[in-house]
Amino acid sequence: MWKTILRRILIMIPEVIILSILVFLLAKAMPGDPFTGSINPKADPAQLHHLMKINGLYDPWYQQYWNWVVHLFHGNLGNSYQYQEPVTRLIGSRAVNTLWLALFTTVLTYCFALPMGMYAAKHEGKLPDSIIRVYTYVTFCIPFFVILVIGVWIFGYVLGWFPTTGSISSTANPGLPSIGSRFYHILLPGVLGALFGTVNVVQYLRSEVIDAKRSDYVRTARSKGVPEKDIYRHHIFRNSLLPIAAFAGYSITGLLNGSLFTETVFSYPGMGLLFINSISYRDYTVITALVLIYGILNLLGTLLSDIILSIVDPRIRIQ
Amino acid sequence: MVKTKTKLATIAVTFLAAITLAGCSNNSSSESSSAAVKLQTAYKNPDKTDKSATKNGTLKLALVNNAPFQGITDPALAPNESDSQAFAPGGSGNLFNVDKNYKIVDGGMANQKLDRKAKTATITLRSNAKWSNGSPVTAKDIEYAYEVLGNKNSTSQQYSSDFENLEGMAEYHAGKADTISGITYPDGENGKVAVLHFKKMAPSMKFAGNSYIWQYVEPYEYIKDVPIAKLAASEQIRKNPIFTGPYKLDKVVEGESTSWSPNKYYYGKKAQIGHITINVVSMNNIDKALQSKKYDSVVPSGAGSLGGTDYKNLKSLKDYTKVGQPAFTYSYFAFNLGHFDTKTGKNVMDSNKKMANKNLRQAMMYALNIDQVTKKFGNGVKQRANTLLPPIFSKYYDKSAKGYTLNIKKANKLLDEAGYKKRNGSKWRSDPKGKPLTIYFGAMTSSATTEATYQDYLQQWHKIGLNVKFTNGKPMEMNSFYDTLQKPSQDKMDIWLGAWSTSSEPTETQLYGDTAPFNYGHFVTKKNSELISAMNNSASWNDKTRTKVFKEWQNYMNSQAGVVGEEFSYNWQPVNNRVKGFDFGPANNEFYSDLTLTSSKLK
Repeated sequence: MWKTILRRILIMIPEVIILSILVFLLAKAMPGDPFTGSINPKADPAQLHHLMKINGLYDPWYQQYWNWVVHLFHGNLGNSYQYQEPVTRLIGSRAVNTLWLALFTTVLTYCFALPMGMYAAKHEGKLPDSIIRVYTYVTFCIPFFVILVIGVWIFGYVLGWFPTTGSISSTANPGLPSIGSRFYHILLPGVLGALFGTVNVVQYLRSEVIDAKRSDYVRTARSKGVPEKDIYRHHIFRNSLLPIAAFAGYSITGLLNGSLFTETVFSYPGMGLLFINSISYRDYTVITALVLIYGILNLLGTLLSDIILSIVDPRIRIQ
Repeated sequence: MVKTKTKLATIAVTFLAAITLAGCSNNSSSESSSAAVKLQTAYKNPDKTDKSATKNGTLKLALVNNAPFQGITDPALAPNESDSQAFAPGGSGNLFNVDKNYKIVDGGMANQKLDRKAKTATITLRSNAKWSNGSPVTAKDIEYAYEVLGNKNSTSQQYSSDFENLEGMAEYHAGKADTISGITYPDGENGKVAVLHFKKMAPSMKFAGNSYIWQYVEPYEYIKDVPIAKLAASEQIRKNPIFTGPYKLDKVVEGESTSWSPNKYYYGKKAQIGHITINVVSMNNIDKALQSKKYDSVVPSGAGSLGGTDYKNLKSLKDYTKVGQPAFTYSYFAFNLGHFDTKTGKNVMDSNKKMANKNLRQAMMYALNIDQVTKKFGNGVKQRANTLLPPIFSKYYDKSAKGYTLNIKKANKLLDEAGYKKRNGSKWRSDPKGKPLTIYFGAMTSSATTEATYQDYLQQWHKIGLNVKFTNGKPMEMNSFYDTLQKPSQDKMDIWLGAWSTSSEPTETQLYGDTAPFNYGHFVTKKNSELISAMNNSASWNDKTRTKVFKEWQNYMNSQAGVVGEEFSYNWQPVNNRVKGFDFGPANNEFYSDLTLTSSKLK
């Protein structure tokens, strides 16, 4: 087991290197530069050239790449051109916002989806099952940004129950009030995200449970007289979690991806908005750092998924 | 300083969400208001100020932006306008008061005296000018701003070669000198007087926003230990900045909000409202946010935060009053007429360029129905630009200039005269030599409405028999667009639609001068160079002469049709009826201090 993990991690190293070169080249290949957007009647192109020069943006790509790698090993991802602060600090502050929201949404999604999937499977073909299935299909069909816009309109503006912008109130005091304010701000986007993001979990769990219900070991357990409650809890549920577990690694590392829609509608400064902004501003340092982080997270996600799977299902443990 | 273009990072999202929001409201999109909107800059609230509501209340302002603000409080380092809006109640360390024409007048934090003979500007701080931490504003603070701008390691994008008109600035910028020799202190660094010594004097120095005299101070004592290269990332600039204005910063939430309370050290009129909060609100939410009374108003800005669609949605909003003035922005058509000679640093007109024929350019402009377009889509806050100078410069702007109005007959006649004729039964005109003529039109991706107007323009040009196509077949992404134009020579775009936002001093050297790299169309004539340099020659110290030169230039540019105005925008915003003393006209130098509230809750 440990050998497998180690082997996987070793393979990741060349993958990350290739990824970083690709990202670096592609970012530079985009038209424009970090200062294209700064031109105004009073800006001096000579000064913009000066800034390009002192930032080494006129150097050949391999030299820029080399400098970047050297800095990387010193824990320095460079300065954002747009925000004019260290990329690590910038991403750090956004990552915290994103993590809060994503964690809350994900936990809530599972809280809604697992019981729903189980309940639907238990009552297969009956009214509750149909209702849940229709619900998941309908929520799956509506584009998420529509839900967000309607949600913020009804609950934020018309009813005024929830804050509509930002991650925290501008006047919240430090300590408990500020934590409370943060929670209050992620409540609406989190609940909306969870209510409308259940389809995968519900459908996988439901079909797995239905399969398991008819399998031999369940029949055996029933014939032994094991109570129905225990059959569901110990025999069916654990086995049905397999496909969900396969995704778990991704959903853990995917917490940092950020949601562009939520962040835009709620003016919530997170990773998704940062990524899109950095692309349109040609903020190279931020783009490369983010893509690299996402790449590594994805690789870790697959690894994590495999590990979780092997814990849940001893059959696929690799020797 | 006003930035040119805001990058809409999330155009796709905005667009989709805007459609959805439009779906929620029951306005029909076909209705249009035609008359040009004309509003007062001040809202004269007849109600009486509620003293306790004012003292204990919070004025809530929205900062309309799709992206988080950067959080750089220093005006020399801030890369765009959203930062200056987010920190506006702090006053940015602004030195001078101005009148309605943006002319610098006495009475601000400092007075300025220009001496044309000695070629100096003497800036005298008032004795009670203080930072919000209680320490005095000194002559060194005036000087340090030039160091922050011009330091060779500075991240500032505001430095320009015009600052090298200050003695010693070029040497300092190149790293050859440790100090700027052209700034002296008659009564010491901690005194109140700084004298700037120039190589030459320019009439634009009388106006705020000119390119020679920086109008903000830097808190030298407070930030002197931070290397200038790292200033923008420092705590002193981001987390605990100090200000000279009526309000001091209580808290900044990175990228999303700021909150303020009165600065007891402010030298001028004392702030009256107990708290001000500024929150970022995205463009697709701002109408709903104002309709549900979440905000008193939006933070004023030179370019204006709200557009025509917002105007349509909000014009009859109950309990709010609209204020407005012309914006600093205009959009323009430019023609590709030459190239930039990188060796001599000059723009050169080429007579063999496709658009070199004046008749062709004028015909293309006469073919456009901009008046109808603004009437249909502008909701009254957009107007055809009859010149290249926005009407906010009421003195210089030539209201009587005709510009180009729809006249298909004239357009056809101009083309026929110049030999652009339809030959061999083709539906398109060919050039005077009989070769097929295809004209490429460059435009940037934008809102659905704006892209519809592009289609209209293409259609109009087709009407006069010109085969005009989009460069690359469709509107271009902003970076590609400017990347193409910034090449010293390009033939991808023959005509394009761009936009500029001017500062409060509109000298045209940087945009249309013969050495200006931003003169993307490379329109250069002797007469044009003469007029532009006349804007800042010695005769122009006389305001009347200067006004005349500006008007003459506008008419000359129209007659040559090298660059032609498209639309002017109107800078407007709604103000909740509980706010009193709201006047965002240029001559009101105590904007935030003047504000009071007439009730504790929004009306």
